[in-house]
Amino acid sequence: MNKHVYLRAYLAGIAIPTIFLLFVMTGYILLRYSLHFPVPIERVIVFPMALVPNLWGLWNIAFVAWRDKLHLHIGLFGMLLPILLAPLGFLVVSLLDFAIPHAFLSILPVLAPVALAVYYLAWKYLVNGLNAILGIA
Amino acid sequence: MNDPRHDHEPEAMKKLLKTAVSPIKDAEPRRDLWPQMLRRLEAAPSRVPWWDWALLAGTVAAVFLFPSVLPALLFHL
Repeated sequence: MNKHVYLRAYLAGIAIPTIFLLFVMTGYILLRYSLHFPVPIERVIVFPMALVPNLWGLWNIAFVAWRDKLHLHIGLFGMLLPILLAPLGFLVVSLLDFAIPHAFLSILPVLAPVALAVYYLAWKYLVNGLNAILGIA
Repeated sequence: MNDPRHDHEPEAMKKLLKTAVSPIKDAEPRRDLWPQMLRRLEAAPSRVPWWDWALLAGTVAAVFLFPSVLPALLFHL
């Protein structure tokens, strides 16, 4: 069971956002095309569709590779990911000339702790659970 | 059908396999693993600590109080 540890780590990491994306995308498509939501989210959809799941997979590989050196709980390690993701998301949005709504900037003080908490819980219970199933916890 | 030349093939194959694969030494585990297995099966399932419930409740409350965080949060998931 010690074979392909990093492949299993990647698959365990990528699984959660990939499943979640299905529901998020369904919601966005319904909002955009049925209820005529005025934000053209399809211009920046590459970020949650491609970058985020792959970064979760790579982050889990990094956790499995460094856990003996770092001695950091998986929840705390996962909580560090939004610190990398947030500027990346901002960069993608800026490069694609997507106008960030002003409301978004005003809710940043609330968004940051909520994102950290969600990532902490998701990594502690969901990704760690998948790691246990795949024998790499 | 029954070619006598092939009658010795299984025996020859057995010998070949025996010479190619060395016999397994110490096939038995060093200690009895069954009691450890029983302990794991009987162990109580891991419980969610209260601070994680509090964190979850706080997060849900924050999303209800500030629903505009939801699109940005979903964008980063």
